[in-house]
Amino acid sequence: MNSAVYPLAVFFAAVFTNNILLANYLGMCSFLSVSRELKTSVGLGAAVTFVMATTSLLNWLVYHYILLPLDLDYLRFIVFIVVIAAFVQLVEMIIERVSETLYAALGIFLPLITVNCAILGVCLFMVIRDYDLLSSFTFGLGSGIGWFLAILAMAGIRQKLARARVPRGLEGAGITLIITGMMALAFMGFTGMIKL
Amino acid sequence: MKSRFWKERIFPVVFMVAVTVVFISVVSGIYLSTRDMVKLNESLFLKRAVLYAADITVPGKGAAVDKVYRSRVRERLDSEGLVNHFEILEDNEISGYAVFAGGPGLWGKIEAVIGFTEMRDKLTGVEFIKQNETPGLGARIAEEWFKEQFRGKMGPFVLVPEGTAQAEKEVNAITGATRTSNFVLEIINQSLEDIKEGEWPKLR
Amino acid sequence: MAKAKVKKVFLDSLGKQNPVFAQVLGICSTLAVTNVLKNTLVMTMGVVFVTALSNFTVSLMRKVIPSRVRMMVETLIIASYVIIVEIALKAFVPDIWRQLGPYVGLIITNCIIMGRAEAFALSNPAGISLVDGLASGIGYAYVLLIIAFFRELMGSGTIWGYQVMGSWWTNWSIMVMPPGAFFMLAVFIWIVKGLLLTHEEKKS
Repeated sequence: MNSAVYPLAVFFAAVFTNNILLANYLGMCSFLSVSRELKTSVGLGAAVTFVMATTSLLNWLVYHYILLPLDLDYLRFIVFIVVIAAFVQLVEMIIERVSETLYAALGIFLPLITVNCAILGVCLFMVIRDYDLLSSFTFGLGSGIGWFLAILAMAGIRQKLARARVPRGLEGAGITLIITGMMALAFMGFTGMIKL
Repeated sequence: MKSRFWKERIFPVVFMVAVTVVFISVVSGIYLSTRDMVKLNESLFLKRAVLYAADITVPGKGAAVDKVYRSRVRERLDSEGLVNHFEILEDNEISGYAVFAGGPGLWGKIEAVIGFTEMRDKLTGVEFIKQNETPGLGARIAEEWFKEQFRGKMGPFVLVPEGTAQAEKEVNAITGATRTSNFVLEIINQSLEDIKEGEWPKLR
Repeated sequence: MAKAKVKKVFLDSLGKQNPVFAQVLGICSTLAVTNVLKNTLVMTMGVVFVTALSNFTVSLMRKVIPSRVRMMVETLIIASYVIIVEIALKAFVPDIWRQLGPYVGLIITNCIIMGRAEAFALSNPAGISLVDGLASGIGYAYVLLIIAFFRELMGSGTIWGYQVMGSWWTNWSIMVMPPGAFFMLAVFIWIVKGLLLTHEEKKS
């Protein structure tokens, strides 16, 4: 594959065919609980996208310039999660000082993000798949947007669902999972569109 | 006042650093104590892969693998000291070769050891040594039945749905992992071309 | 510690308060590998180990952790245990480690582990926290094992890698692909919730 197109292909694959939520089940916890409301979904989606794109970049640098040369590969779990947590704290502090409206919109979601498995997942996948710097960034960005897309669609559907009659046992989590399954099926339709 | 400053600002940082140091040293200790074992596992894994690709029965025990490997395989290094290819020996004569080959997979790179005869007219076997395909789906390329499909044949191979392969050149795809199967086939078919032309297959 | 309390903690985690079907927590990391029973068992054993020991450790340290860095310390403890799991897999069962790939690391972000540390270990003594972690882990494990059992059975016609379905059975490929996990989990929750609801109605 042409190396100039590769990062772009990684990006589209991460958004559609290999959606981090629908194909890898990552970020399910917050997906299930937050998708109840459209407004919060948008806030969390934006925050996840931002953090994912930047931390994948940061962690790539840390991994390739610090961990690998020092042969500390085995510590990557700790290092990645600490980088993510520290970055999130930093962003929270900056947003709090700089813009009140932005803080009101995103601030409350930031602590939730540290424990969002999708963020760590992206960092681990990018390492194991040997992406270069640019591809790692587009992978992080694409995964974030893919996650955003999934939660946005789900929130929209769930708002309509609020007035629908659902079998009692399926209320809440059950029906959400079934819809997620259908979305996963639909996204599988994109397969073949992108060749990595 | 000073004690409050200590309690709210300094102590958490000191505490965090202390905890980090303690845990990292414990983890490092465990890592170092198992490092030799992991290295041994890895070299054994590679030896097994080469033997498998050369169609030599792989013994179960590690020591036995070592012994068979030493008597049947000769490593040929390139100018940088890395393995370029393996020579497979039968009664001290070269009967075939094994080489690393690889290419892109669905998620990451797929790397394999490909074995072929000295006449370059047949594959003796294929073993995958590195892949990041989805567990239970694409990762099934590592299953015996899938790898065995290439042994003793000389492609180029075509994919057919799982369980329908009949002709020699047909290969059963893995249900639910058609694309991974495609990537693997591409790697193998490309390697076959290299072999036919008298070159060494390579990592792409 | 009182025996009755231990029993209650255990029964709650396995039944009504089960982390998966009552709270739908922590399914992310493991759901991906539930298309093969063997991988699921290894992953869930890892989760049980990490949940129990991190709960225990957090509880031991609960009186000295400054609240400001509480989450960080918890994450650090969990990450350390997960690294230990990875090292152990790498050293002792390298084949399974190769299959699971990055998913072992994702145990860190399993919400159950963090959730139990926050909700239970921070306010309870070490002994009972260990029991609670163990129980939550097992409660989580058996649900996922049931899901994995059906996914492997229906998707590949096998259990633990052995063919059990006859030739009359057509594999439901969708079960081993991502959507299958969502559907299977939904059906499972439906059944359990339905049973609980009818049970409660009978009571009242």
